[in-house]
Amino acid sequence: MTRLGQASAAAVALMLVAAGFIFLYAPTDALQGAVQRIFYLHVSSAIAAYGCFAVVLLGGVVYLWKENIAADRLARAAALVGVVFTTVTLVMGMIWAKPIWGTFWTWDARLTSTLVLWIIYAGYLMVRRLAEPGRQAARFAAVVGIFGFVDVPVVHFSVTWWRTQHPGPVVINDTLPAEMLVAFLITMACTLFLAAVMIAIRYRIEVLMDQAAAKTVPAPIAAPSEAGSAR
Amino acid sequence: MRTISIALAVARKDMTSEWRTRELVPALAQFVVLALVIANFAFQIDSRNAAAIAPGVLWMALVFAGLVAFGRAFAAEREQASLEAMLLTPAAPAAIFAGKALAAALLLAICEAVLLPTLALFFGVRLSFDVVSAVLLATVGMAVLGCLFAAMVARVRARELLLPVLTLPLWIPFIVVGGQAVQAAMGGSVTGQATGLLLDLDILFVVLTSLAARFVLDD
Repeated sequence: MTRLGQASAAAVALMLVAAGFIFLYAPTDALQGAVQRIFYLHVSSAIAAYGCFAVVLLGGVVYLWKENIAADRLARAAALVGVVFTTVTLVMGMIWAKPIWGTFWTWDARLTSTLVLWIIYAGYLMVRRLAEPGRQAARFAAVVGIFGFVDVPVVHFSVTWWRTQHPGPVVINDTLPAEMLVAFLITMACTLFLAAVMIAIRYRIEVLMDQAAAKTVPAPIAAPSEAGSAR
Repeated sequence: MRTISIALAVARKDMTSEWRTRELVPALAQFVVLALVIANFAFQIDSRNAAAIAPGVLWMALVFAGLVAFGRAFAAEREQASLEAMLLTPAAPAAIFAGKALAAALLLAICEAVLLPTLALFFGVRLSFDVVSAVLLATVGMAVLGCLFAAMVARVRARELLLPVLTLPLWIPFIVVGGQAVQAAMGGSVTGQATGLLLDLDILFVVLTSLAARFVLDD
């Protein structure tokens, strides 16, 4: 079994342990009932997504600074995993919101900025597909990743400053019971490990794809002179 | 200041070429008036709801006019490969970018000079100094971001698809703050805080885009 295979098996096992804590150990919420159990994975995926996008930001900055291909591959891998975790966060949040708020969606600051986050990094993945592979795609994607990371807190605060009249969600209050806190912290640790393993797998795929591209294309690095007239 | 004189020269070149061809501004002006006509049918506007809908219509028209304007900003350069020629000169890419963004912002401002009076006329809203300043401040930030991504998508496939996808999420702060400012100003209240915020956002994105311009242009 390869190291990645072992890590994947460990990640799956850890997620099952987290599921055990969520469904068997954590008490049922007095007000919300069973649906409250969504909270553990929902918040954990959100934190994992933020972590992934921080890696995209760092990878982009390092790539622009040092032209280091490994940093770019890491950013590529983290962006994809981040979009997956943002999707999980949004979908689980909506499933929770329907019974609790009575609606799948409300234009709250946190919901709006998470949706914008998803759109920005979906755009990042589109840039990667559409730009000329290699230096151009890496540079453009790095710029998008950096602007995206700056924009999301700005969107969040600009919406908060102006939409305070809208009801906000109370996701975490500090008086979480001890069992719930334990279940949450364990789920979060397992989810972060899962995210790291997913990034590692995707990084390996990116390495193999780069190698395959270098083998099939006769001139692996396109001459920059044609960049302006590229269709 | 070399940078400023280069930027002004590039902006003057763009304005001169627009003045000689007169393509973009008439088309954009027609576009925004058409947007108001479409809004009239889409929202079933009458004399009671017109004032409430007007700020939203203003920003919708402005955002889409901006996408068209900034999409065109690098079209001529791409068609004649003149951007490469400019980059071969010792001029800093940031200065060239600033010139392009300045010209694009001016063209959008001309378009706003058509949009705002038409809006006031058709929707019966008051145009105050606060409304105009909020729109102009938002134009600055929208122009630098729009031009950065227009320069980027000019070199990739499917550029018409990619420009809105990349630009619109980054414009949201300007639309949120500017939208509230215009709504407050049209309703007759003060907008001091919003103007300050727009200025902060402008400074943030002008600095960021001028840092990033090198990586997008000098490819």
